[in-house]
Amino acid sequence: MKLYKKEGNIIQILSFPTENAEKGDYLMVEDADAAKTLIVQVIDVQFAAVPGVLEELLRTLPDGGEQIQGEDIDPLEIAPHITYIQDASLLVCKIRATLENGLLNPSSSWLPSRSQSLIKKVSVPALMKLAKVDGKLPIILGGTKDSSLLTIDATDLDGTLNIITGKKGCGKSHLSKLLMASLVGYKATVVIFDLNGEYGSIGMTNDGKRNMYYDKIYALTPSQNFKVALNQLHLNVVLGILVNALHLPGTSAREFKHIWKQLKDQGKLTLAELHDAIRNCNCNQHVRDALASRYFSLMNSGFFTDNLAESTLLEDSLLKAKESGGAIIINLKNTGNIDRQIVVEYVLGKLVDSLQGWKLKAVFLFAEEAHLYLRETYWDDIVTRMRHFGIFTTFITNQPDTIQETIYRQADNIFLFNFTNEHDLDIVSKAARVDAETVRSIARDLPPHHCLTLGRVVRDFPMVTRVRTLDLKTMGETRLFFTVQN
Amino acid sequence: MIEQYTITTTPKYNFPQSTPNTTLPQRFIELSINSLRQVRTNAFQYNPQTMQQESTTTDYPIQMQLKRQPIPLSPKHQETTVSGVDTSTIKIGETTTGIIVAIRGATVHRQNHNYRYTRLGPFIFHITEENKNAVYNSLERTYFNTPYNTHQSTPPLMQMPTRLASLLEHWLQGNLTKTTCSGIILFDGSLTSGTIDTPTSRMREILSAARRNNNVVLAFSKATSMRSNGYLITDLLPEGEAPYLLETLGLRFKAPTIPLGDVYVARLHKANMAFRLDIDCEVPVQSRMEAVEKLLGNDVMQQGYPETLRLAHILCTFTANEVLAMQHFITRRHGIQIVNRPDMHRLLFGPFGREGYA
Repeated sequence: MKLYKKEGNIIQILSFPTENAEKGDYLMVEDADAAKTLIVQVIDVQFAAVPGVLEELLRTLPDGGEQIQGEDIDPLEIAPHITYIQDASLLVCKIRATLENGLLNPSSSWLPSRSQSLIKKVSVPALMKLAKVDGKLPIILGGTKDSSLLTIDATDLDGTLNIITGKKGCGKSHLSKLLMASLVGYKATVVIFDLNGEYGSIGMTNDGKRNMYYDKIYALTPSQNFKVALNQLHLNVVLGILVNALHLPGTSAREFKHIWKQLKDQGKLTLAELHDAIRNCNCNQHVRDALASRYFSLMNSGFFTDNLAESTLLEDSLLKAKESGGAIIINLKNTGNIDRQIVVEYVLGKLVDSLQGWKLKAVFLFAEEAHLYLRETYWDDIVTRMRHFGIFTTFITNQPDTIQETIYRQADNIFLFNFTNEHDLDIVSKAARVDAETVRSIARDLPPHHCLTLGRVVRDFPMVTRVRTLDLKTMGETRLFFTVQN
Repeated sequence: MIEQYTITTTPKYNFPQSTPNTTLPQRFIELSINSLRQVRTNAFQYNPQTMQQESTTTDYPIQMQLKRQPIPLSPKHQETTVSGVDTSTIKIGETTTGIIVAIRGATVHRQNHNYRYTRLGPFIFHITEENKNAVYNSLERTYFNTPYNTHQSTPPLMQMPTRLASLLEHWLQGNLTKTTCSGIILFDGSLTSGTIDTPTSRMREILSAARRNNNVVLAFSKATSMRSNGYLITDLLPEGEAPYLLETLGLRFKAPTIPLGDVYVARLHKANMAFRLDIDCEVPVQSRMEAVEKLLGNDVMQQGYPETLRLAHILCTFTANEVLAMQHFITRRHGIQIVNRPDMHRLLFGPFGREGYA
C-alpha cells in the first residue's frame, strides 16, 4: 500500500489486489523518521484511476456490446500484471488518531512521508489495546472481520445516552438484549419498555430451559400482574398522567389537585372515593364532566386498583434488582395507546421518585420505539434532567427521524445497523461523536447482524462487529403467513 | 508440397486456426528474455513520451494519375472470411545503454457475423547498440531460414521498435495467407516493397502464398501522402454515390521501391471519407472488384474502414494501463529499478518546456 493523497482528515491510499483491505478496516501509516503513526480507518474503497482502463474495457466490447472472442498468446505472462494494475484500488480513509510515544491523540495536523511511510493493517485487539479499551467489566459485542472479539466495558455505558438504530430485521433488539443481559450480569438495574413483548422470555434458553438470568427477570404486564393503587401515587405522577396522557385541561387539573389533596388528607384515596368526590364536586359542570371522563379512562385501563396486594410488584422488583441486579420488563404489547402512555408516565415518575429518595442507585432504561409512548417534553427530560437522577437511557428504533436531533447530539454511544435510505443516514450523522462520511459510507454496506459501534465505548474508533448470538429465547420474530412447514 | 489448411471445428464457427509455424514467436520470446536479462544491473527510466507505432504510407510515386470515373460497387453477401492483421510497438523506457520496447500483433477474423481474434505478445526487448544487430539479425535469419548478411541495413537504435514490429507483422501476414483459404486478407498500410523494412522478395512471397490459397490481399492505408495534381488522392472524391473505387494510372516509384499492388482510392461508405487501397496487382481486375464487394457484404464498414482491420489495430495497440503493467513486470520479474532522470526541457525552460512547444 502507498500513501497517495491527504485532504483535511481524509487520506487516500493506493492498494493492490493482494492487499485486500475493506471498508471498516484500520490501517497504520507509520512514518519512522517523524516517529509518529497515523491511525486511519477505511471508509470507502474505490477503483484507482489507472490511465488506459477505459480503453482496455472498450476494446473488449466492439461488437454491439458482445465480448469479442479470441485467444491471447502471452508468452511473457504480462496479463496478470495488467490485471494487477487494473484492479488497484483507492482506499479512502478517515484519520482517527495519531500515535506518538505510545499515546493516542486525535490530531491529524501532520503529514506523513508519502514515499517512506509504511502502511499496514492493524487488528482490532491491537487497536483496542492502544485505545485502552480494556475494561474491568467486559461486554463481548461480537466478532470483527479479523476474527477477533470486540469487547466494550460496561462502565462506558454508565451515565451515558445510547442509541441503537438500523432498519427492520437487522438485529437491533438482539443487541439490546445482549447489552441488557450483560448489564444484569454485572448486577445493574435495567428497565425495559417492551413494545412487542419480546423480552419476557429472556430468562429462558432457546430450548426452553432456565438460564442464568431467569431469577433476575421481572416481567410486568400492565393490568395483569402490574397494577397501581392510588395511595401509592404521588400527586405529580397522577397529574402527569392526566395532563400528558389524557390531555386534561389546566382548570380541570387544578380542581383535580384539590380533590386529590382532600381525599389524601382524609385517608380515602381509593378509586371508589375518587369517583364519588368527582361526582359530588361543587364545580363547573364542564370541569366535572372532564374529570369524570378521565376517571373512567383510568378505570378502564385496568392499571389502577384499590387492592394493595396487587400493586407492589414494581417496587418489589426494583428492590430485588437493586440487591443483585435485574431487568424489569414492562410489557406494553397488548396495551392501547393511551394506556401505554399512562403506564410509561407512571413508571418514569416512580423511577424518578425512587432515585430521588436514593432507593435506587441508577437505572439503565431501554426504550423501544419510544416515540410511540413518550411525550414530546420527556425526551429532553430523559437526556438531561433524568440523567442526573441516574436514568441512563438506550433508545432503540428503526425510524431514526422519530428521535429528536438534540438526542443525537447528546448521544454518547451509537450502535448503528444497516440503513440504505439517505435520509435516515443523514439524521444519524448528526450525532456529535460521529462523522457523516463514516456513517454514510459504512452503514450503507453493513450486512444483517453487523453493527457499527461509535462513541465512548470504542473510544471514538468506529468498529464494525457481527453481533454475537445469545442463548436466549427470542420472541421478537415477525409472525408470517407463509411459514415453511417442517 | 500441398499445404494443409488447419481448419477445425469449433462449437460455432470454423475460424482459421492460428499459425502452425511457431518459430518466430519462440525466437521472439528467447530474444526478449535474453535481452531483459542483460539489463538486470541497470536502472530503468520510464519514458513518458511513449508513442505508438503508426503505419503511415510515405512512399511517393514519381508519376501517377487518378482516374476520376468511379468504379461503382455493390455489396456481395456471399459468405467469405475476412481477416485482418496489425502490429503495434511502444517504447516503454530507457536504460543507461538502450531502450526497452514492447511489440504486439493481432489477427482478427470475421465469419458468420462474428469476430475472433488471436493476439500475440507483448514481447518486451531491451535493445542496445551492442545487441541490436544480434537481435535483429537473429529474427531475420529465423524468418528467412537463411543467414542475414546485410549488416549495414541494421536499423538505428531509435528505429528498432518499428523494424521489429514490421518483422512480426510480416510473419503474421505470411501465416495468415497460408492458413486462410478463399478469403479476404486485410493489411494495414500499402503493398509497396523494396523499402528498408519491406524487402520485395518477402512481400512477393506473402502475396504469392495468398494467391495460391485463393485469397485476395487488400491493404488499407489510414493516411497517405500520395498526391495527384498537388492534391491528396483521398481528397479528390467525385460526387458519385458510395461505395466506389477510383483507379490510379501510370504509377511509378523511384527505385528501389516497387509497388506490388495497384493503388485505388476507396470510398466504401456514404461518410465522406476515403482511404488508399492497394490490391495485389497479380489478381485479375474482376476478382479485385469482387473481393472489395465481398468485403462490403461481409464486414462492417464504419466510416469506410473495415471493422476487422480496425479491431486488429485496437487489439494490438498498447494502453497506458498496459504500459504500467509492463513496467511493473520489468521491475518485479527482472529487478530493474525505475529512476527518474531530470527532464531537461522542464529544467531549462520551466513551464515552456512542455512537449509540443517548438
